[in-house]
Amino acid sequence: MPRSSVGWVAKVIAVTRKDIVSEFRTRYALNAILMFALVTLTVISFAVGALEPSKEIMAALFWIILFFAAMSGLAQVFIKEEESGTAMILKLSSEGTVIFFGKLFFNLILLSILAVLIIPLFIVLLKTSPANWGIFLTGVILGIIGLSGATTIIAAIVSKATVKGALFTVLSFPVLMPLLVAVIEITKVAFLGGGYKEVWPPMQLIITYDVVMITLSLLLFDFVWRQ
Amino acid sequence: MIKLEVENLAKWFGPRKVFENISFALTQGESIAIVGPNGSGKSTLLKLLIGFAFPTRGRVVFSDEGKKLDFDSYRRRLALVSPYPALYGSLTARENLDFFARVNGDLVTNEEIDQVLAQVGLEGRGEDFVAAYSSGMLQRLKYAVALLKDPSILMIDEPTSNLDEAGKKIISDLIESRRTKSLIIIATNEKEEYSLAEKLCRLGG
Amino acid sequence: MYYMWWKILIFLAMSGVIILAFATPSPMDPANSLGPADAYRIFYFHVPQSWVASLAFLISMFFSIRFLQTKNMKFDLKAVTANRLGLIFAILAAITGSIFAKTTWGEFWNWSEIREVSIFILLIIYGAYFALRSALPDPDNRATLSAVLSIIFAVSAIFLIFILPRVYPTFSQHPSDSVVDKTGKLTMGPMVSIIFFTSLATFTALFLWIYNLSLKVFKAAEENLLEDI
Repeated sequence: MPRSSVGWVAKVIAVTRKDIVSEFRTRYALNAILMFALVTLTVISFAVGALEPSKEIMAALFWIILFFAAMSGLAQVFIKEEESGTAMILKLSSEGTVIFFGKLFFNLILLSILAVLIIPLFIVLLKTSPANWGIFLTGVILGIIGLSGATTIIAAIVSKATVKGALFTVLSFPVLMPLLVAVIEITKVAFLGGGYKEVWPPMQLIITYDVVMITLSLLLFDFVWRQ
Repeated sequence: MIKLEVENLAKWFGPRKVFENISFALTQGESIAIVGPNGSGKSTLLKLLIGFAFPTRGRVVFSDEGKKLDFDSYRRRLALVSPYPALYGSLTARENLDFFARVNGDLVTNEEIDQVLAQVGLEGRGEDFVAAYSSGMLQRLKYAVALLKDPSILMIDEPTSNLDEAGKKIISDLIESRRTKSLIIIATNEKEEYSLAEKLCRLGG
Repeated sequence: MYYMWWKILIFLAMSGVIILAFATPSPMDPANSLGPADAYRIFYFHVPQSWVASLAFLISMFFSIRFLQTKNMKFDLKAVTANRLGLIFAILAAITGSIFAKTTWGEFWNWSEIREVSIFILLIIYGAYFALRSALPDPDNRATLSAVLSIIFAVSAIFLIFILPRVYPTFSQHPSDSVVDKTGKLTMGPMVSIIFFTSLATFTALFLWIYNLSLKVFKAAEENLLEDI
């Protein structure tokens, strides 16, 4: 049957779209991530809210919430494929790069929704706010790209393992450490009210990190996906 | 014409032998049934043929007109029907079919989807969510997904599992209709399914 | 027979190192040292252990890449074994480093000390690697996925250990950090250098010897099981 063919970008969009539609109807990952973030935020508010922690600590707390929320939900993109039994068919139906980017963008969207909801709550509950919003938001964006970029392949690895949830956190942590250190630094400066000059080194680090990790993941992805 | 050559294939998981000395050749238009009791390694052999597992010894080679095909080349023309759920429950049948075709690189029209649904006896059920499908319907939908790909290589693990008499008839007719266009590999432990293929490969001897 | 000589040599060298490490004057000038100068003797052992732990990791990464290229299980065995030994040496390095930290700086652990953080990360990486392996029952899967993980971890470790300190001068440096100073001359005296480099070589030889033995043991264990077939 002669058919019009679908370009690479359209295929990636198809994957992301499928995940979005499926997620919209079931809301598994989104619920997990949001609830986890909310609970962590609440616990933190109770524990340290009254003590008025320093701005530096606020920055770290913010990323602790995002990190653990990400850990609770980002592996879902691949785990659900294994659980629904569609993983094998999917592997036969597309190139690795299409799946990789499709899932990456989905996780990016998930984390963006999380950020949009958590940031106002964080500011309200902990009675704090960044002195420099530009730097703060840039940090959040870079951090989210790094979080989804570096963990996509880890999620794929974990989907084939037996213990999944806890394993994802254990495996992601060493990989994400450079990102977390750098992004917390940027957020600290944002809260304290510093300038772009101060955050340029960590930003450079994150951009390099994002590029390197995503490239590396792409190169290795086929090995994981073909199992 | 796609050709599959399997030479001296053996698979060991550490000290445990799954099978060895498997050799056969198939061209488009031919079919083989891999038979054996449960646990004899049929699914493992299929995985090896597809390329999702590595042989301990021997080779699996797909070629077209003498030229060897790598995974990304033959993948586009290979369709697998497996006993796992293999479909997205929160999507409708139509959405499933459209997605798998699209991600494979083909834009399919609604008519083509209707046509393939009719071929497996699911006409009119395109808008139902797959989660609501019975296991028999699910099995037939998997064939629909495979058909939509117009595969040169058709691999079926347990062709008529979950199917009632009517379903079995639909599927065997379907396989008949694909005989000339595809290279068909079936894995089964049901004697009645042996006749779906001309050649036989016995495991678990 | 030839092998015997290596074992004897290693034994003699290690004994020599241990004796001399305590018999000779401490490598640190008591005027410059924080805490007892004798504590710095641990330098003869701690640094080689760290070095071997990192070497093991690099070896494992190399074999992981070879495995992905060839799909030959023997490379998987080589990679795991290297990591197993590396873990042991990393634990040793962490312990000796901690002891040193306690006697000189007064605390067992310090988070802004980049070398301490590095060894901690290395331990976590080893832990995560083995956690993954134990969660994968299928041997093909296990070999492939842990190989991929090794490589990803190696790259992340490079970011952490080399690039991060350059970006963050707030990370303090190990006190007696440089073995070689700016002019390229060794900062250690001749006696100290001999003992140190011998120790380094001996620890490396020890590691390689144990590594070889382990490979043989694991291979034999596998083949033993094969005998029944």
